[in-house]
Amino acid sequence: MKVDELTSQLMEEIEPDLLDFIRTKVTSFIKWDLIRFLCKNPNTADTAERLARFAGRSPDAVRPELEEMVQQGLLEVRIIAGIPVYSLSRDKKMRMMVEKFIKACEDRQFRVKVVYHIMRNLAETKEGS
Amino acid sequence: MERIKTGISGLDEMLAGGFFPRSANLVEGAPGTGKTTLGMQFIYNGIVKYGEPGIIITFEQFPEQYYRDAAHFGWDFKKFEEEGLLKVFMTSPEVSRLDLENIDGIIEQAVEEMGAKRILIDSISHFERLTKDPNELRSIEYAFINSLKRLGLTSILTRESAVLLGGETDTYGLSYVVDSYILLRYVEMESRIYKALLVLKLRGSDHAKDIRRFEITDQGIEILERFEGREGIMSGSPRRMAESFIEAFVRR
Repeated sequence: MKVDELTSQLMEEIEPDLLDFIRTKVTSFIKWDLIRFLCKNPNTADTAERLARFAGRSPDAVRPELEEMVQQGLLEVRIIAGIPVYSLSRDKKMRMMVEKFIKACEDRQFRVKVVYHIMRNLAETKEGS
Repeated sequence: MERIKTGISGLDEMLAGGFFPRSANLVEGAPGTGKTTLGMQFIYNGIVKYGEPGIIITFEQFPEQYYRDAAHFGWDFKKFEEEGLLKVFMTSPEVSRLDLENIDGIIEQAVEEMGAKRILIDSISHFERLTKDPNELRSIEYAFINSLKRLGLTSILTRESAVLLGGETDTYGLSYVVDSYILLRYVEMESRIYKALLVLKLRGSDHAKDIRRFEITDQGIEILERFEGREGIMSGSPRRMAESFIEAFVRR
């Protein structure tokens, strides 16, 4: 069995709403880190620089990911005195989905599947560019 | 006159009943003296004993650490957040300051939605990063404190003191801006470390002048008896009164 087929088979075992969340929202390891951090600290409202520091990443790497997460409806952004300030979406459905994803991540097998998915996604993005 | 009780037995007596409504109250101490615990207890008691929702703004410690530390005392902050009685915000001094200056900012919205009456700022020391100019710093802190008052909040602002024992108090002006000033200190006596609390200032009211011993128990902060027969408590290394008498008069 090819790696792609194995990955697809593994992903199919995931609940449909979670699978959709992973496929459309958790498309990189940085996003995963940020989702985890914001789920554990849901009333965080801060700049890209500070969020990058909390996630142990570089601001340059985090900034475009944050922008994508805003477009995907995961995050909200407010411009305060010219500074973009990011926070987790207040949408209840989105927050429930984030919590469901982080809860599911407690299972090692699930985490492995998400890792496969992200790696495949990153490889596809690389091929595409 | 109406008072906002901390709900900490012994402390409200020292404050002649509690803080004033819409007041800013500074709690200063070295790391580990219990500043954050005192602030969390003020918020917890507000919710549980007095029906007053609260907000915590943290600039460095992650909210999940507050949930964990509060749980150690049996305070379920996670549940309070789910019930809309508490919000633990993580942000930066720059963002919180600018947000409060704006109309309908994140903090103002939360205060209105929750009907929050109390706030813990942990810690105001982080504002010192914003400027090196002491006058500008005092101005920034003054505006920040006033914006909290404008929202109808009674606040506890914690501030870190750099030294473990004794140490100088405020030199650049925050203590002049706040309405009350509480000092927490480590005190060394007979090869043991104790914790001491002193209400240094309470604007517009009388307050206890004695220095009290306190402990952090599994219920939170507990104010105990005053230090008797010693002087120089706030220096961190007190002496018995007799020793200081001998030093001052007999050894001359």
